Amino acid sequence: MLQALKTLPWTQSVRALASVATSATTAPNASSATIPAPEPDKLYSKLEIELRGVDPAVLKSYTWFATTAADHLGIEKGKCWSPRKAHHDRMTLLKSVHIYKKHRVQYEVRTHFRYMNFHKLTGSTLDTFLEYIERNLPEGVAMEASKTELQQIPEHLRQPPEEV
Amino acid sequence: MANSLTRFWGQGSLQKHVVQTGLRGFSSQQNPEVEEEEEFRVLSLRTVKQQFQKRREVKKDPVTPPRSNRMAVDQDWTAAWPGPRSFHPASVPLPLRQGFTERGAAAPSKFANAELMKIPNFLHLTPPAIRQQCEALKKFCTPWPKGLETEAKWQRHFPVEVITTDYLQALPTIRNPEARRVTVSLKLSDLKFDAHARDKFLRLVGDRYDKDTDILTFVTDRCPLRKQNYDYALYLLTACYHESFVTEPWEATKSEADMEVYLFGRNKSKLSAEEILNWNAAEGAPKVEPSPSYGQSVEQLINEGENEYNLTKYKEEVKKMLNIASQ
Repeated sequence: MLQALKTLPWTQSVRALASVATSATTAPNASSATIPAPEPDKLYSKLEIELRGVDPAVLKSYTWFATTAADHLGIEKGKCWSPRKAHHDRMTLLKSVHIYKKHRVQYEVRTHFRYMNFHKLTGSTLDTFLEYIERNLPEGVAMEASKTELQQIPEHLRQPPEEV
Repeated sequence: MANSLTRFWGQGSLQKHVVQTGLRGFSSQQNPEVEEEEEFRVLSLRTVKQQFQKRREVKKDPVTPPRSNRMAVDQDWTAAWPGPRSFHPASVPLPLRQGFTERGAAAPSKFANAELMKIPNFLHLTPPAIRQQCEALKKFCTPWPKGLETEAKWQRHFPVEVITTDYLQALPTIRNPEARRVTVSLKLSDLKFDAHARDKFLRLVGDRYDKDTDILTFVTDRCPLRKQNYDYALYLLTACYHESFVTEPWEATKSEADMEVYLFGRNKSKLSAEEILNWNAAEGAPKVEPSPSYGQSVEQLINEGENEYNLTKYKEEVKKMLNIASQ
């Protein structure tokens, strides 16, 4: 696991964190230097993770792993919760091939959900953390990670257009 | 019985053979003593050596005792179980039991226990392992910048929110069509408008603007890639913003019947109020205008309807304008 992580090209580490707010808007002059100007880091206000799987115990262990990793990496945790009941996806079929309508057999798929929230991550932290926990996702668990990125208002929308 | 029959048949055929092919040199009568032994000879086209090769006996190694017996108590478990792997009873020094038995009996032990192998285990993610890996990963992380601690602070500098979603799933494909969706949202108060532009902008964006929260949201998923959808959302925002400042020639033909709201400034009510205020005024004297609070109360009365509050306010304003002393 660690070996694999080490060999990956970690471009995120090069990013310099943009200083707060107003000074970050000035774009670095790329023509002057041969070294590419450091890309300003992104800011994410929230990372929301939804896990779904058939085994609640696995989801619980995985949530524990992810929150512990967030603690070690200094990431602020938000609400982590799971709905009490699983989703039941039921299918009712005839037990026989095509007759005996009173006798049915019922199959069901239970999907358990679990949610985690993390707040205030920089772009490099989010990439590191998300890749770490995604690589350790156990079999049979699906993940949905929605990221809320913070951006400034684009330059051309700050003032009303003069000539229209 | 069958054996002797075949033998008999063989002998008969042999004799017949001799009779039929008396001229041939390789007749089986060359060694007659074989026939006297009662054995059916098989025509062997392969070499004799292969025939007598014995089947090799399979050597089985003696079963070694489980590795967990030799493990030290203070061993480095992260080295013993470094990565994800299905459960192996000889490598895990824990007295695990799992499975269903009849009542009163102990659950089956970990050896040859399929129940323990079915469930994905987290033996490679023990607390020390997580700590080690996080310490190695820490150098790629950066702290949250100072001065942006609360939501109000970061919204002042970064008002635009872009929501994207990644999906991980156990499907043959790693693509998820939902991953292309991009949501761009911002508060309308962060954009600068004049009255006409604001009105036109709200007409252009339609239900993408939420009046209660003052939030404008663009959700785009019509392009195949996320980047394209993000660019498209920003394009929509830019186009609507710039278009709202364009005044078309036909917009000037908006008559009073087309107005959505009552405006005091362009109505008869203002003229009447002015007439009353300038009653018997000298020629060339500065015109007296009705106070803006009066206009506001009239607008409120007509736009929001006649309720007790609006009527009372209108009454107060009229009294104030006409200098009628309240009792």
